Amino acid sequence: MKKILALILCLALVAALFVGCAEENKPDSGNNTETGSKADTGNKTETGDKPAAKTVKVGLICIGDENDQGYTYNFIRGKDAATKALEAKGINVEWVVKWNVPEGDACEDANRELAAADCKVIFNNSFGFEDYMLKVAPDYPEIQFVACTNQASWGDGLENTHNAFANIYEGRYLAGVVAGMKLQQLIDDGTIKQEEAVIGYVGAFPFAEVKSGYTAYFLGARSVCPTVTMKVQFVNNWSDATAESNAASALCDAGCKVISQHADNSTPATMAQSKGAFFTSYNNDMISVAPEACLVGTRIDWSIYFTEVIEAVVNGKTFDQDWHKGLADGAVVLTELNKDIIAPGTEEKLAEVEAGLKNGSIQVFDTKTFTVNGQELTQAFALDTDGDFAPDKEEAVFNGAFHESYFQSAPYFAIDIDGIELLN
Amino acid sequence: MEEAFKSPLIRLEKRSGSSIKPVYAWLIRLGSIVFALLLGCIVIALAGSNPIQAYGTMLDGAVGNAAFRQQTIKKAVPLLGCALAIAPCFKMRFWNIGAEGQITAGALAATFVVRMLGPQFSGDSASLPLLLLMALAAMLLGGLWALIPGFFKAKWNTNETLFTLMMNYIIIGVVAWLQAGPWEARQGRIAQFPKLAWLPKVEGVHCGWIIVLVLVFLVHVYMRHTKQGYEIAVIGDSMRTAQYAGMNVGRIMMHTMFLSGAISGLVGFILCSGATNTLSKDIAGGVGFTSITVAWLSQLNAFAMVAISLMLGILTKGADTLQTVMNVPASISDIIIGLLLFCMLGCEFFINYRLILRKKLGKGGAVT
Repeated sequence: MKKILALILCLALVAALFVGCAEENKPDSGNNTETGSKADTGNKTETGDKPAAKTVKVGLICIGDENDQGYTYNFIRGKDAATKALEAKGINVEWVVKWNVPEGDACEDANRELAAADCKVIFNNSFGFEDYMLKVAPDYPEIQFVACTNQASWGDGLENTHNAFANIYEGRYLAGVVAGMKLQQLIDDGTIKQEEAVIGYVGAFPFAEVKSGYTAYFLGARSVCPTVTMKVQFVNNWSDATAESNAASALCDAGCKVISQHADNSTPATMAQSKGAFFTSYNNDMISVAPEACLVGTRIDWSIYFTEVIEAVVNGKTFDQDWHKGLADGAVVLTELNKDIIAPGTEEKLAEVEAGLKNGSIQVFDTKTFTVNGQELTQAFALDTDGDFAPDKEEAVFNGAFHESYFQSAPYFAIDIDGIELLN
Repeated sequence: MEEAFKSPLIRLEKRSGSSIKPVYAWLIRLGSIVFALLLGCIVIALAGSNPIQAYGTMLDGAVGNAAFRQQTIKKAVPLLGCALAIAPCFKMRFWNIGAEGQITAGALAATFVVRMLGPQFSGDSASLPLLLLMALAAMLLGGLWALIPGFFKAKWNTNETLFTLMMNYIIIGVVAWLQAGPWEARQGRIAQFPKLAWLPKVEGVHCGWIIVLVLVFLVHVYMRHTKQGYEIAVIGDSMRTAQYAGMNVGRIMMHTMFLSGAISGLVGFILCSGATNTLSKDIAGGVGFTSITVAWLSQLNAFAMVAISLMLGILTKGADTLQTVMNVPASISDIIIGLLLFCMLGCEFFINYRLILRKKLGKGGAVT
């Protein structure tokens, strides 16, 4: 009897499954046929001609999810803000997002799946995704593929691949100013000696992106606190909460009074607070996790780029293959200042520096402000064209400054300057 | 009557060997899947989606069109290959849980060949010899990696479970070092292989699927129709018997482990040459562990493994789509897969034991 009952139950569920499939097939069959008829670009022009609200399907592939409260969370904020901005322009965005995609062939699958789901643009949010994206892009010439923070598009020979990076070094310079003001205040009121003004920096990898960031940060701090020095500890990982915390701890023990970071987690902030040091964050406002330590943070506002791209695609226009914008366009922003603990006069100074950066009177990598092995920097190449990972083309030093993110959006300042000590 | 009240609500009784017909055993297995799917319904409903629609989406996302089917197969290939690799070990009750590391070792060796010899090969005709060399190197290193714990077990009777598990971390650590050190191309990654070293695609999927299907037959023949396969079975049933029969248990263990590691190594080659086209420390991606479930669910039957690995492929791909289409969190999909595996493995308990309810006891009164 029981067995018969079990059998009936099985059959019922199998039947239910098939009903479910049948239901699901209706909306999805549209998807499936579309993959077959992807050649007809009529879709694009059609939406372009309609005066009513236009709808566009956009793909986003993320290495994490909102739980990291850092890197991917920042993209999600960008996505939500862009959706709103586009809505105001009469464009409805239908996002298809893949979360927690590892940097491997799963990323190729994700790109294929989003292409098959008829997305018109696909954003890849992590550096390691580009290799896999490039395997898919040639098969879908009418879909635009974007590898954020990466750099192959200018040399891959494809029309539909793109890179984007905001000038985060400008934001870091500003955050450095806030940190420098705080250190100078500590010196002035006698809490620390001049030579004790040391910044500790938790870096992910010794790559240009990270080096460019901490150098900008250091120069920002030194512009207001002339005696400051910096120690950098690499964790050799983009996201390893424990290692980042340990590095911050070691830096505090080595006498650092301010900690900053270029990695994905908020653990350095809490560690800095527990060690009595100050902190400035990246990607996200971390005042909530370390209210007594976190002075300010800087982040990229991806909504500026997302809005530009999606609008261009909907209107059938092309957009930059290698996009970069900065402070002046709102693509890089400072998070809220922690008014309880910043040094007095910080806001006025920030406003002044911000205006200077925007109108070009202040250059972040002004060659008069730093030395390399005691010498002024007079020559440095920007681009690596032969694939040996050493820059060999395009002179980046001119008009008295190193021009970061000028020849390509991804940072290429990878020079070790005096005053910054690498601990590992 | 009093006795009946004293007896527990549910009692378990071991079924004697022949008490359950195969048909019923399979019914129980099917029932467990149904039960797991029903449990999954609750989880999906809690996450705020329609369960039936969700299952439909999963199935459609896994087999709905050619592109989806290709991805499903791509996910199933390493699972099947690796389950085939560990089957001989498990048959002789040697708990090799180091397949993850053996895969990584294989991929490492294949990558080494590409990096050292790749530049010497040019022209399309050179692809096949290069691939063969890569496969050979992968099998050799994978085999050696498995042979080490095999040797220690045979010589000094060390615990193979811990030993094989620890070996995983060592080789993954080696790859992590290569990836961020000597072999690093850019930002902690090893460069993509040249096209020459890519496994060609057949029907839209890298031809690893053909290799593992051939392996299914080879492993089946090896386990069922060769002297070695018989020896493995005897050791698994009783090591004493094997010794009494004059078998050299240590030697058999070592060559079985080498064979197992070699097949895992081949899977590593398929993964790095066919799927990722490069090496990373995550190349095995848990396949070495999931395949234990595949081997166990299929009762070490090579042909059943094809079905089980396909089923897991469908589940993972379906879960992936579920996440995209219905905005169900990724962890919900993981929970559903976990529930299914748990129920399917757990149901073996009900095949071996019978539940006896108290009511039945009271009425019959015959059970003591």
